[in-house]
Amino acid sequence: MKFNGQRDLLTKSLVVLLALPALLLPLACLLYIVWRGLPGLSLDFVFSSGEGAGFGHSSGIVGQLWGSLLLALGACVAALPLALGIAIYERLLASTGQRRVLASVVAMLQGIPPIVFGLFGLVLFVHALDWGVSLVSGALILAIVVLPTLVMTMIAALQRIPIEHTEAARSLGLTEGQLLRRVWLPQAWHGLVTGVLLGMARALSETAPILFTATVFSGVVWPDSIFAPVTTLQTHIFYLAQEGGSEAATQVAWSSAVVLIALVALFALLAHVIQKWRPLHEA
Amino acid sequence: MLRAWLYASTLTALLAVLAVFGFLLHASWPLLAEQGVAFVAEPEWFPYEDLFGLLPVLIGSGWVVLLALLIALPCAVAAAVLNAELLPPRMRAGLRFVMALMASVPSVVYGLIGLWLLLPLLESQFDLLTGRSLLAAGGLLALMILPTLMLLSEEAIAKVSAEQRDAALALGFDWTRMLSRVLLPQAWPGIRLALLLSLGRAMGETVAVMLVVGSLDRLPQPLYNLLQPAQTLTSRIGREMAEASLGTVHWAALMSSGLALALAAVLISLLAQRGRAHEI
Amino acid sequence: MRGVWFLIGLVWASLGGAQASEQIRVSGSTTVLPIVAEAAKQYRIAHPEVRLTVSGGGSGVGASSVAQGMSEIGMLSRDLTEREKQRLHGKAALLPVARDAVAIAVSKAVYEGGVTQLSLAQIAAIYRGEIKNWRELGGPDARILVIDKEASRGTRHVFAKVVLGSEKARAPGASIITGSNNEEQAAIANSDQAIGMLSTGWLNDQVRALAIGEGSAAVLPTAETIASGAYPISRDLNILVPSDGQPHIDAFVEFLQSDAGRQIVTQVGYLPLEAP
Repeated sequence: MKFNGQRDLLTKSLVVLLALPALLLPLACLLYIVWRGLPGLSLDFVFSSGEGAGFGHSSGIVGQLWGSLLLALGACVAALPLALGIAIYERLLASTGQRRVLASVVAMLQGIPPIVFGLFGLVLFVHALDWGVSLVSGALILAIVVLPTLVMTMIAALQRIPIEHTEAARSLGLTEGQLLRRVWLPQAWHGLVTGVLLGMARALSETAPILFTATVFSGVVWPDSIFAPVTTLQTHIFYLAQEGGSEAATQVAWSSAVVLIALVALFALLAHVIQKWRPLHEA
Repeated sequence: MLRAWLYASTLTALLAVLAVFGFLLHASWPLLAEQGVAFVAEPEWFPYEDLFGLLPVLIGSGWVVLLALLIALPCAVAAAVLNAELLPPRMRAGLRFVMALMASVPSVVYGLIGLWLLLPLLESQFDLLTGRSLLAAGGLLALMILPTLMLLSEEAIAKVSAEQRDAALALGFDWTRMLSRVLLPQAWPGIRLALLLSLGRAMGETVAVMLVVGSLDRLPQPLYNLLQPAQTLTSRIGREMAEASLGTVHWAALMSSGLALALAAVLISLLAQRGRAHEI
Repeated sequence: MRGVWFLIGLVWASLGGAQASEQIRVSGSTTVLPIVAEAAKQYRIAHPEVRLTVSGGGSGVGASSVAQGMSEIGMLSRDLTEREKQRLHGKAALLPVARDAVAIAVSKAVYEGGVTQLSLAQIAAIYRGEIKNWRELGGPDARILVIDKEASRGTRHVFAKVVLGSEKARAPGASIITGSNNEEQAAIANSDQAIGMLSTGWLNDQVRALAIGEGSAAVLPTAETIASGAYPISRDLNILVPSDGQPHIDAFVEFLQSDAGRQIVTQVGYLPLEAP
């Protein structure tokens, strides 16, 4: 027994030792980003627009902020009706075989790297449909990227509706439309909202697929058409990291990173809160 | 009306997958028609001479992904075991939450970390001309996939039932044996799934890799030299896509790189699903 | 549900309707970018009705995006290649806006370590991988970090043509590849043993230009030597202008060529052209 106790201690120490980098490194990175970014943060920085002549000569990221939000919002608006349709189809109409196919398709969409959708969008939206490097091209590409997230969250929410409720509704002679409106929607709306919030967070984190399909480096604060390009926080950070040599540019990159993380975390947190809040509300 | 909408959206999702492959195949056709698929194994990429060998980037991508998984897997699983088995429940939720938050940090931000923390570190540690290398990209990717890998592994471990655990301990297994004979084998399908998902993520990650890999279109010399700058499938697409013009063979070559990436992703996804089917 | 679609349609229509506003998209060489970006900043103040966006990408992007109709104006730090000339024939023409040189730039530590000039043959040997240590050139005992640029970049075309003999020559000695001038400048500044090719507008204390030539005949890139042609690696900075003469585009081009435009050229560190 004593021997075993010693061996357990050894194993446990080994586990802790191996686990430490996994637990500490990400956290250290986060703290480092905040530490580097905070000095450059101010209301003026976030809410003014830099004209963007040269790298880091002018700061101000309100244009990039709008661009990121517009793209993410556009992506979710485009993906929402689709995702909802797929989720309801999966729960309402699909046979077991169809469910399996659907699950595999959604998993595939989730597995394909975003940059591949970027290439697809470049061929189809930017060139074949001739929408150019634009907000609408980027939003539709991101819509494909976030679609699996939305579908899976919504299916999960619909799955949690007790089967008796659905059966009761059916035995009362409710049509499919009435079933959706009166039973499923009131019980699963939080899944809808959570899905969209998670989708926003996901869309805000993507850089590669919009790099050559939706964004320019400077010159846009508010796009005046969906066929105009935008600037985004993600690509702004990327350009500054890759091309900005000066201290000022580096500072803008770190500060923009803090703003971006805060934005993503905000949406992720909201999603988390809504998911947590629901059972309390129902109970 | 309602059914039309449901059918239409489901069909759209199916069509989207087909369309991605269709359009990429169509866009890569000029190259495939001209050179067949032999270019995949050619070692030279030089657009000016119409040389579009994919071998260097395939090896680059392979190394980077392998490194990322080798570094991340032991740490992530250890962290998962620690969190699921050894820490008090109250800390568990908190830690999971922090990890979930970390998993949502945008990849471009990791690129900043790579540039300003990882590269200087590698340069001073290994006395390198430049830290931009396969190792830098692999290490950065490991950092990026860690939180997700840990969260999913932890879920898999937590699913192993308390009964099995108690039975093992009642049989007189010590903790070490319980871990190696019961816990990890039982959780393995879940960990395998997490591994495959992380593999896909690491393979397709673009901007962070682009910033630290060095973008040198050359095979590592020797092949296991991880401290040399290199290029991956994604970093090449990211760098050159904007400068290739529509209709050229260069364009087609980049599109076929994307096609290769998509095919690999679907393969991984199918593997993952097979595992899932066995689990059920 | 129908209400939602109606709303989407309405938003679509209202957003799409604004597309007709006067739009100028400029993209291409990051060497030319500072001139046009600064000019655009000033031009927008006087002409708020014009939507003027500027992005980089490199000379190759400038030519191809004009050919594909994705930009109205391209920026090129080199001449058009034969292939580009064919694609753009009758659609757009090149117009020089400034003159510049490609400096052979080294890290501060190398410069202060004794390497202040090199011959073209020595530079070529470095990029071919025949010289690998600064010691062989009278500098510090440090390996050479050879920074090459993406093949389509104008700066590389000009450099490769003069130094390596052909604008499409390979550089087997290269250690890493960078894209824009900014990226290259950052890479040289962050190292203390690097050499690279850089537009003169990007030189600073961390990134020093070498004199080029043998012995006392070596020439630094200065306003005089670039203008007289004594510095061997110089070129025109161009914009690619559409030939169909839309007034709002021509007006911006005229602004670039005006006195105010030439002042911007000087301000960002290039040589203005003589007034036409």
